[in-house]
Amino acid sequence: MNGMDATLKPRIRRRSTFEYVAWVLCIVLGLGILASVATNPNFKWDVVAKYFTHEAILRGLMLTIFLTVASMVLGTLLGLVIAIMRSSKIKPIAATAGLFITLFRGTPVLVQLIFWFNIAALYPNLTIGIPFTNIGTAIDTNALMGPITAALIGLTLNEAAYMAEIIRGGFSSVGKGQIEAADSLGMSASMKMRKVIIPQAMPSIIPATGNQVIGMFKETSLVSVLGVAELLQSAQLIYARTYETIPLLIVASLWYLVMTLLLSYPQSKLEQKYSHTSVRVPRKARKVTLTAPEGIAR
Amino acid sequence: MNADGTIHARRIRKSFGPKTVLHDIDLDIASGEICCIIGPSGSGKSTLLRCINGLETVDSGVLKVNGDDFGYYETENAYHALPPRKLAEQRTRVGMVFQQFNLFPNMTARQNVMSGPVLVKGADKKQSAKRAQELLTSVGLGAFGDRYPAELSGGQQQRVAIARSLAMDPEIILFDEPTSALDPEKVGEVLSVMQDLAKKGMTMVVVTHEMGFAREVADTLLFMDEGFVVERGDAREILTDPKEPRTQTFLKQVL
Repeated sequence: MNGMDATLKPRIRRRSTFEYVAWVLCIVLGLGILASVATNPNFKWDVVAKYFTHEAILRGLMLTIFLTVASMVLGTLLGLVIAIMRSSKIKPIAATAGLFITLFRGTPVLVQLIFWFNIAALYPNLTIGIPFTNIGTAIDTNALMGPITAALIGLTLNEAAYMAEIIRGGFSSVGKGQIEAADSLGMSASMKMRKVIIPQAMPSIIPATGNQVIGMFKETSLVSVLGVAELLQSAQLIYARTYETIPLLIVASLWYLVMTLLLSYPQSKLEQKYSHTSVRVPRKARKVTLTAPEGIAR
Repeated sequence: MNADGTIHARRIRKSFGPKTVLHDIDLDIASGEICCIIGPSGSGKSTLLRCINGLETVDSGVLKVNGDDFGYYETENAYHALPPRKLAEQRTRVGMVFQQFNLFPNMTARQNVMSGPVLVKGADKKQSAKRAQELLTSVGLGAFGDRYPAELSGGQQQRVAIARSLAMDPEIILFDEPTSALDPEKVGEVLSVMQDLAKKGMTMVVVTHEMGFAREVADTLLFMDEGFVVERGDAREILTDPKEPRTQTFLKQVL
């Protein structure tokens, strides 16, 4: 009309009324919360800042990271064993693995943690030796089962049950033809597992394992009930003394958030890498299976 | 007598649940013989082939491959399953080529071809790589050794799969509809590789719908329907002058 070339006119996206309403609502609500958080003196942001890098908090964070890495590594290894047992043709072996998964997935982790911590009530002495003979030595269970040990055992066994199911799911994603091809070449069961099944199951196992790492990082806060001075417990110990409950919970939460965000970046990269590799596992992806396991799948 | 490369079956029976898929099949294949098995789908031809390298087990009957009872050892009143290692050993002498190729997608073409010798027989890697290269060249894929299966066409994948079977130096190779999953224009390249193999004196059992291949290359032919062998004999004779009415109608449909 006014002389602008019609072929060059930009095309404008249509916005629905709902979109405008959503914008307004979000901005109003967001500003409201922000103002409240900033002006409410009970948040005590100066206390948050003071304790954010407090030595006890950082030590707690280190312990949380240690528990996450250790229980993930051990849990994945045990999970792999359970998954292999679960897919065994030998009934008692498959059933044992099934029972393990049922028990440790079917009861709350919190209960499991307290259970392991109190195992001495069930077995006051642990005896290592040959059953039904007098050969062997006995150890006081309480001396062995400190809070950190109990935490590690509880988290590991629980994680193993979940990882076993993830790994088994990965195994069953490998085509029947692949197994037949390996069989017809005369491969042994273990060779088939190592060279054919596991490499092809990785694309579905690795992203799921990444999710488990993120979940485990937060799950470790449960071991605070055992008095293990991980991140949450470290914060609790401080506010038990100073009564600055909310600021210290914010300190802990911020650290959980920071770590989760740090982990979610490589996680989304992993997911992208493996999302469309059901058929092919090209060169680059192979490299990742070799290097990615740092703290994730080893 | 040297029985390498022979297959001998007497009254093989196999059922899946209530459905009998193989009814008293007899089979005699001599060393170096090329035998084609044809028939409608569901006739049991693939099952028969899969029994010969232990992907399926037979319910009863005698099955000797390379002169040995396959997968079992015979006692006075029964056949007992062999331990897995013995079965695997027997399998290394019978190659199998699948309709869907079944190359290992996590290995390159060369690694696929090397997989048998290196992983199963524990052969030297360098020598196996050299041998793999020769085999890939012989199927016309000398330049494709570093490609992954996903980067190859169906015809190329199937030729790699044939090279993978050959790498084990089997006396017998079984082909389960090797060209059925291929683009029509890729069928020829696979058939010509198989034809070369036939000339070299390999015992081959081929389940196929390629009547042209059967006519040109096969020595003997087996026509199966509903778990029975309906007609057997010289390949060209049956294809040109089938005796049984069932064979006649089948061939009329496919030719």
